[in-house]
Amino acid sequence: MSVISDLDAVAQPPNTTRSEARKWANPQVLIWAVVLFLCLTPFILIFAVSFGHKVEGAGWVWGFSFANYQRVFVGAEWPDQVTWLYLQRLYYSLYYAVIAAVLAVVTAFPFTYLMTGLSRRAQSAWLVFLLSSLSLSEVFIVMGWDVLLSNRSGLPMVFKETGLTDWLKAVGWFDVLREWGLANPRNVKFKTSVLATVLTMSYLVWPYAVILLYPPLSRLDRSMVEAAHTMGAGPWTVMRTVVLPAMRLPLVGTILLLFVFLLGVYVAVTVFAEPAKQTMSVSVYGAVRGNTLNAPFGAAQAIVLLVTAAIFLVLGQWMNRRTAS
Amino acid sequence: MTRMNRRALLKSAGSVAGLTAASSVIGTPLIAKERSLKIGAYGGYFENSLKEHVYSAFTAATGINVESVTQPNSTDWLVTMTQATKAGSVPADLSLYARDTMIKASRIGGLLSPLDLKAAPKTGDLDPYFVFEDTTGPIGVGAMSWFTAMVINPEEVGPPASWAEFWDSEKYEASLGLPKNFNAQFLDIVAATFFEGEATFKTKDGIVALVEKAAEIKPNVALWWSAESQMEQALKNGDVIGGQYYLDVSNLMAADGFPVQPVFPKEGNPQDYGSWCLSSISEKGAEAAEFVNFSSDPATQALMSRKIGTAPLVPQSKTDLTDDEFAFVSGAPSIKPAYEAYLDSETFIKETWEKMLAGA
Repeated sequence: MSVISDLDAVAQPPNTTRSEARKWANPQVLIWAVVLFLCLTPFILIFAVSFGHKVEGAGWVWGFSFANYQRVFVGAEWPDQVTWLYLQRLYYSLYYAVIAAVLAVVTAFPFTYLMTGLSRRAQSAWLVFLLSSLSLSEVFIVMGWDVLLSNRSGLPMVFKETGLTDWLKAVGWFDVLREWGLANPRNVKFKTSVLATVLTMSYLVWPYAVILLYPPLSRLDRSMVEAAHTMGAGPWTVMRTVVLPAMRLPLVGTILLLFVFLLGVYVAVTVFAEPAKQTMSVSVYGAVRGNTLNAPFGAAQAIVLLVTAAIFLVLGQWMNRRTAS
Repeated sequence: MTRMNRRALLKSAGSVAGLTAASSVIGTPLIAKERSLKIGAYGGYFENSLKEHVYSAFTAATGINVESVTQPNSTDWLVTMTQATKAGSVPADLSLYARDTMIKASRIGGLLSPLDLKAAPKTGDLDPYFVFEDTTGPIGVGAMSWFTAMVINPEEVGPPASWAEFWDSEKYEASLGLPKNFNAQFLDIVAATFFEGEATFKTKDGIVALVEKAAEIKPNVALWWSAESQMEQALKNGDVIGGQYYLDVSNLMAADGFPVQPVFPKEGNPQDYGSWCLSSISEKGAEAAEFVNFSSDPATQALMSRKIGTAPLVPQSKTDLTDDEFAFVSGAPSIKPAYEAYLDSETFIKETWEKMLAGA
């Protein structure tokens, strides 16, 4: 708020104080001020904390050093030792988010396309169903998938009961699965694995993908599709040359939005990813929580994650604009 | 007492005026006599059980009312209490701290007040390890303790004689559940099994050696759990057939018919404990001493073992716990965690451990 009032004071000559006062009464300015305040305060606070100093065996104190940022890139023992531990976590943050976002959009797109061809009634039924599934929290969804993939109650049980496990053992593929970490000596296992993590993450954002793709797809002029058909184009050619080019912008936009959303996923990663493949958001929480009370290091990691996300968004927009022109 | 006073007063009071005057005089000391104490404990089932079984017995025995205060855990509570102490008003007189948090508080300084052990003679029954003294005096008296134990699925494997057997990939490939946090005492198990115990934590080389030994068990670990419920589900579902888990919860699960069996191998299991610590700006030192005295009583220790599932801080012989009841919550030998090292080399151990887990 103070930023805005300062700016106003600088921008306007002193003889307009009365109009300035009237401007303050303008509800729009007030709303902007509140929004800016609410958005900026947490961010500035985290930024300030990230320069703090950790007291070994106790809490942390305010300070000004870049040690936390240095640790994100080369580790605490630098220069004696270098570790890419935290960069590896950043990599996995991006890795899961990209794959899960693309997977969600790739599967949601044909679904939404077919859905927009249905009757109004059927469309609204689907939309209501998808919207209501958004009320399930991440914890709830992860719990569900956890049960689905569990040894005694889920997919591995199906493998065992149907004889699939024995068959896999007989043909020797079981050992391949063991090497991939998808089996123990007794049965197949899907936790912990990249597969389970990515599947759960795309499931998590799938309804968003449909809801984001629905408006542009329902606005798509179907007569163009029909025209292409009458001119002899097969369904794939129509999809490739008519629908996809028209939908390129919303598709990229949806992927970017889901990507940013997925960067912060916490529960799915802690449950389904092994520690070697966990993400920066898990690491942030590990630093801030009571265990070590190292909020400054957590804040530094959060800032690095934020900057990386921003870079990806800008790059995405830039590429989008370049291909458009 | 109160009724006696009032009756005597009614008899002696000659007039209504005299009665009013006298009752106002007598009323003041009556209010002052109502003693109370605010005690913090970890919220949930634990706090509820304390309220229901322990605080009520304490009030019945001493007349001191207890106001229960919910703590989220140990370390976050320390942050709250540090700020509250600075502000001059604390939410609890007595708080429950794990040993490492208590040492942290002692190092920060000015947060805790020594307890008057002369007014709490029963604390003499406790193993001296559970009465923590710093330069200012005894600042923490053990409240209760808990084990994290070796657990196995008895339908799949027999009880190992040593923790070292968990390193055998022939038997345990991708089948164990171990805690993910660096200070969840798995390193203490490694130190007790393959090295010189707590002493190995004293040097950086020692810590590296411990973590390298822990790295060798990685192919056998199916789950590095961070939340208690993860390991519970994995044990119930057969996703893991062994690992490290809370002794009392394992016993509860076994009692419910799940294939879980806690084991005390020859090296033992890590034992952690909570302490009652008095805030430096509390004025309830006398009441706190009475409570600590009550809590140290072998009868109270046994009560907590039965009702909350914590291990007693006094030998079994001093309590009336049966062998079965005792085995449900405790066992021998006990591995004492290297608390000081976890604090002194906090960043180093955490990062070395996480590098090992991440393979970075």
